[in-house]
Amino acid sequence: MPLSQTLRLAIRFSLREMRGGLSGFLIFLTCITLGVAAIGGVNSVARSITAGVANQGQALLGGDMRFQLNQREASVDEAAFLRGLGTVSESINMRSMARLENGSDQSLVEVKAVDAAYPLFGALKTDPQLPREEMFAEKDGAFGAAASDLLFERLGLKLGDRIQLGTATFQLRAKIATEPDAISEGFGFAPRLMVSIEGMHASGLVQPGSLVEYAYKLRLPAGSGEARIADIREQAGEKFPQAGWNIRTRTNAAPALSANIERFSQFLTLVGLTALVVGGVGVANAVRAYLDGKRGVIATFKSLGGSGGFVFTVYLVQILIIAAIGVAVGLVIGALMPLAANAALSAIIPVPAQGGIYPGALAIAALFGFLVTLAFALLPLGHARGVPATALFREMGFGSGGLPRLPYVAAALALALLLAGLAIWFSGDRRIAATFVGAMVFAFVVLRGVGMAVQWIARKSPRVRSTALRLAVGNIHRPGALTPSVVLSLGLGLTLLVTLALIDGDLRRQIAGSLPAHAPNFFFVDIQPNDVDAFAALIGKEAPDGKLVRVPMLRGRVMALNGVDVQKVQVPPAGAWVLRGDRGLTYAKNLPENSTLSAGTWWPQDYQGEPLVSFAAQEAGELGLKLGDTVTVNVLGRNVTARVANFREVKWESMGINFVMVFSPNTFAGAPHSWLATLSTPDAPVSEEARILNSVTKAFPAVTSVRVKDALEVVNHLVGQLGMAIRVAASVALIASVLVLAGALAAGNRARIHDAVVLKTLGATRRTLIAAFSLEYMLIGLATAIFALAAGGVAAWFVVARIMKLPSTFQPEVAVATLLIALAVTVGIGLLGTWHVLGHKAAPVLRNL
Amino acid sequence: MTEAVIDLKDVSLTLGHGASAVHVLKGVSLTVAAGEATGIVGPSGSGKSTLLMVLAGLEGVDSGTVRIAGELLNGKSEDQVAAFRGRNVGIVFQSFHLIPNMTALENVAVPLELAGRRDAFAVAERELAAVGLADRVTHYPGELSGGEQQRVAIARALAPEPRILIADEPTGNLDQATGRQIADLLFAKAEERGMTLVLVTHDPALAARCTRQVAMRSGRIEAAEPSLAVVSA
Repeated sequence: MPLSQTLRLAIRFSLREMRGGLSGFLIFLTCITLGVAAIGGVNSVARSITAGVANQGQALLGGDMRFQLNQREASVDEAAFLRGLGTVSESINMRSMARLENGSDQSLVEVKAVDAAYPLFGALKTDPQLPREEMFAEKDGAFGAAASDLLFERLGLKLGDRIQLGTATFQLRAKIATEPDAISEGFGFAPRLMVSIEGMHASGLVQPGSLVEYAYKLRLPAGSGEARIADIREQAGEKFPQAGWNIRTRTNAAPALSANIERFSQFLTLVGLTALVVGGVGVANAVRAYLDGKRGVIATFKSLGGSGGFVFTVYLVQILIIAAIGVAVGLVIGALMPLAANAALSAIIPVPAQGGIYPGALAIAALFGFLVTLAFALLPLGHARGVPATALFREMGFGSGGLPRLPYVAAALALALLLAGLAIWFSGDRRIAATFVGAMVFAFVVLRGVGMAVQWIARKSPRVRSTALRLAVGNIHRPGALTPSVVLSLGLGLTLLVTLALIDGDLRRQIAGSLPAHAPNFFFVDIQPNDVDAFAALIGKEAPDGKLVRVPMLRGRVMALNGVDVQKVQVPPAGAWVLRGDRGLTYAKNLPENSTLSAGTWWPQDYQGEPLVSFAAQEAGELGLKLGDTVTVNVLGRNVTARVANFREVKWESMGINFVMVFSPNTFAGAPHSWLATLSTPDAPVSEEARILNSVTKAFPAVTSVRVKDALEVVNHLVGQLGMAIRVAASVALIASVLVLAGALAAGNRARIHDAVVLKTLGATRRTLIAAFSLEYMLIGLATAIFALAAGGVAAWFVVARIMKLPSTFQPEVAVATLLIALAVTVGIGLLGTWHVLGHKAAPVLRNL
Repeated sequence: MTEAVIDLKDVSLTLGHGASAVHVLKGVSLTVAAGEATGIVGPSGSGKSTLLMVLAGLEGVDSGTVRIAGELLNGKSEDQVAAFRGRNVGIVFQSFHLIPNMTALENVAVPLELAGRRDAFAVAERELAAVGLADRVTHYPGELSGGEQQRVAIARALAPEPRILIADEPTGNLDQATGRQIADLLFAKAEERGMTLVLVTHDPALAARCTRQVAMRSGRIEAAEPSLAVVSA
C-alpha cells in the first residue's frame, strides 16, 4: 500500500479509535496546555514589552539620540555640535533632599530639571495639566515644581505647598501622571521632583564635583534613518574623543530594561519548560495506560494483517491529535496572557506594552509542546508496536518488557536531544540553559535510580510482623508498582520547590538578615570639599558614638583597557557591568577598609609618579587584567590612564564604601570633586536616625542623605516583586508535577481495587488497608524528599554561590518544610484516590475477575 | 491427491527463557488438505492454541518448516507474515476481539481496508448480511449480544476470502444454543466457500463435526485420524 494511502487509513482508524473520548487524557491535556501556555505566554508578554520599547523608542529616550555627561555640562564646542544636528532638549538629573519649609521633615528626591524644549517626543502629563510657564516659573519667591504622588504622600503635602531644595524654595503646582522618558533616566530610587533648569541653578545644588548628570536629547530632522544616527555617533566619537559621553539611540531606548526583560523571560521560559518536561512524564504515563488498554485492539489489528508500522502510525496520529488540542488551548491562553499581564505589569514597568499576537513566541511554545509529547510518547508507542498478535491467545505482559525496538529508542533520544538543543539555542545565556538541561537530565537519571533503589531495598528488606507494613513494602516492589513514576513526578516537582525555596531564602537572608550588622545607617553624597570638616564636626556632635568614614568621590567611565577601546574588548557577562556606564571612582593614600591586598603592593603615602590604580581582584580577573596593565578612565571630559599596581579583595556585601577602582592621590590632582561619607551608629533607634537626618539636611541642604534602611526597603520591594513572579512561575511547574503525581497514582487504582477486594475477601480490615497504603505512600514520599533535598540543595547552591556570587547557607526550616510537603502531598493525594478504592463492594469486582 | 494447504514438518517451539522455559511443541508434523475441516483437541496446556498460532503465522518456530497456502513462513518478518495473513488466513477468537470503538460494519471492513481494498465497506456489508446481521451494521460491539458479536467476528474473518479459516474455541464464550448456531454458520460458510477450517475446541460435539481430528498431548500430536476418540480435557 502506498505511504499516502497508509497514512489516510491510519488517520481514519485513529478517528474511529478516538470515539471513546479523551477521558484518560485529561492530565496529558492539562500538562501540555499548562506548559505551552506558560512558555507562549511568558514569551508573548516579553515580546509585547520589547515591541512597546522599540515602537516608542523616541518617547522613551526623549529623543532620537541621547548624550549623557557626568558632573559637567557640554562644552561650547560640544553644545554647538549637538545644536547643529537638530533640536536639542537639555535636562539635569541629580539626587537631593527636599525639605519642608519648617525643616521638620525631609525626603530624598530624584530631581530632574528640564528646559523649554522638553519633551521632544511624547507628552508630560500632570494633574492639573499646566502650561510650562505656569508649572515651573518663579512666582512670589518660589519656583514651580511638579512631583510624583509618592513625594506628596511621604511629606504629607498637597498642591500649592512649598518645599526647600538646596537653598531655593519651590511650590508644588502639579502631580506627575506620566513622564514619557522616565525609563531612560535609570532606576528611580526616590520620588521624582521636576523643576526648570533655572530653578535647579537657583537651588545651588550644582557645584563642581556634584554628582549631576547632564542629558542632551536630540530630535533629528524628519526622515533621519538609522544610518544617519550611526554616522552621528561615529562623528561624536571622532570629534570629541575626550568627551566621555554615553550615547544612546531610539532603537535602544532602555537597554537595562530590555536586558532584564530578556533575562527574566528566559528564566521563566526555562521554568515553563520544566513544567512541560514534568508534564512529559504525565504524557508518558497517560500514553502507556491508554495503550495498555488497547493491547487487545492492537493484537487484533495485527491478526487481521496490520503491520507493526501501521499500528504505530494509528496511535501516533491519536497522540498527536490529543497533543494538538492541548497545544491549541495552551496557545490561546498564551496569546491572551499579554492582555492580562499588561494591567498587572503597568505598575512595575513604565512602558506600555504593545498589544497583539506574537506568532514567534507562540510557535516556540507549540514546537516545545509537540517535541515534549513526541519525546515522551515514543517509547510507550514503540512498546505498543511490539505487542504480538499472540496476545489475543496468551497474556504476555509487555509493560515490563524492557526497551522497545532500537529505532524507537533512538528516535526518542534524538527528540530529547533536539529538545535540549532548542532550549539552549533559544536561550540568551546558553551556559545557564545548558546547566539547566544538564540538571534535568541528571534529575531524570538519578530519580530513575532512586525509584529502582527504593524498590530494591523494599525487595531485600526482612519480613516484618506488621501486616500493614508488609503489604506496603510489597506494594513498593511488586511488578507494575507505582514507585518509579511516583518518584519521578514527585521528585522533579519537589526538587524545583526546594531549589526555589532555598534561593529565595538565601536572597532574603542576604538582604534582611546579614546586612544590618555590617551596613552603615547613612550614606551622605555631594559633600563639598570645604564643608567636609564642618560636616564631620556636626556628625561628631549629633552622633558621638557613630563612626564616620569619608572618601573623595568622582564619576567616570572606563574607556580603554591596555589602550584597547572597551567597545572592542571581549569580556564575560559576569564582568561586563564594570565597563558599562559610569562607575564611582576614588583615590586613597592607604588601603581602604573592607579590603585586603591580594596581589601587588600599595603605593607610598607621598607617591608622585605615573598614575596608579588598585583594582578589585574578582572584577580584574573577570576582565582579564594583570598587574602592570593600564586602565583609561574618562573623568570630567578628560581621559586619564593609570597602571594597575595591585589587586584588592572587596567585601561587596558589607555595603560600606567600596570601589572597583581606587587611584593614587596624584591621579586626579586639581579635579573638582565632592566627598562621600557613611555613618554607622549601631543600635540607633528610628527616632535617633530621623533626628540625625534632620540636622544634617538643615545644616547642609546640598548634601544628599540616603538612609540605608530606606534604600534596602526599595530593593526589598523589588526583590519581593521578583520573588512573587518566580513563585507564580514555579507554581506552574508544581501544578504540573502534582497533576502528574495524581495521574500516576490514579493509574494504579485499578490494580489497587483488585488487591483491596481480594484482601478484604481474605479478611483484611479497612484500617489495615488504609495503614498499608499510607505507609507505602509515606515511604516513597520520604525517599523522594531526601533526594529532592540533596538535589535542590546542590542546585540552589550553584545558582546562589556560582551565578549570583553570594554566600549560600543551608536552611533547616526549608528541609523540614520539604519533608512535610512531600509526605502531605503523596499521602494526601494517594489516600484521596484510595478512599474511593476502599469503598468498592467485593462482589461486582470478583464477578469480573 | 488434493493439494496440502497446511504442511508442518517436525516443528518445535520453546517459550520463555531459563528456568521458566516451556517446550510447547515437540516435533509436530501435520498436513491438512484444502477444504478439509480439522478439529484440534487435547487437554489444557497440550499445545493446541500454540499450534493454531503457528498455523496462522502468529508465532514463529524454533525448528522445522511451516508451509501455509504454499508459502514457507520460516524466515519471514513480522510485517511480511501480517500481510500474508491478511490475504490467506481468517481468524475467529473465543473472546471475539472486536474493536470496541468501531461499528460492526467498520470491524468487518478492517482487514479489507488494511489490504487496500476500495470496496471494503460494500464487501463488509455483504458479509454482515451473509451472517444474518444486515440490520446491525451501525451497532457498536457493546450493543450486540455475544452470539451477534461472534457473527461479526466470523464475517470479519470471511471478508477477505482467505483460503484458511482458523477458530480458537469459537463457541467457548457462548451458551449451548447460540454456540450451536455459530458452529453451523462456521461450517456452512467454510464449506460453501471451499475454505480449509482448523478449529481448537474442548467441545466433543463440535470436534465430531470435523472431517478430521488431531489430538494433542504434551506438545505432541498423539493421534490424527478421522475416527479418533476425543481425548477429554
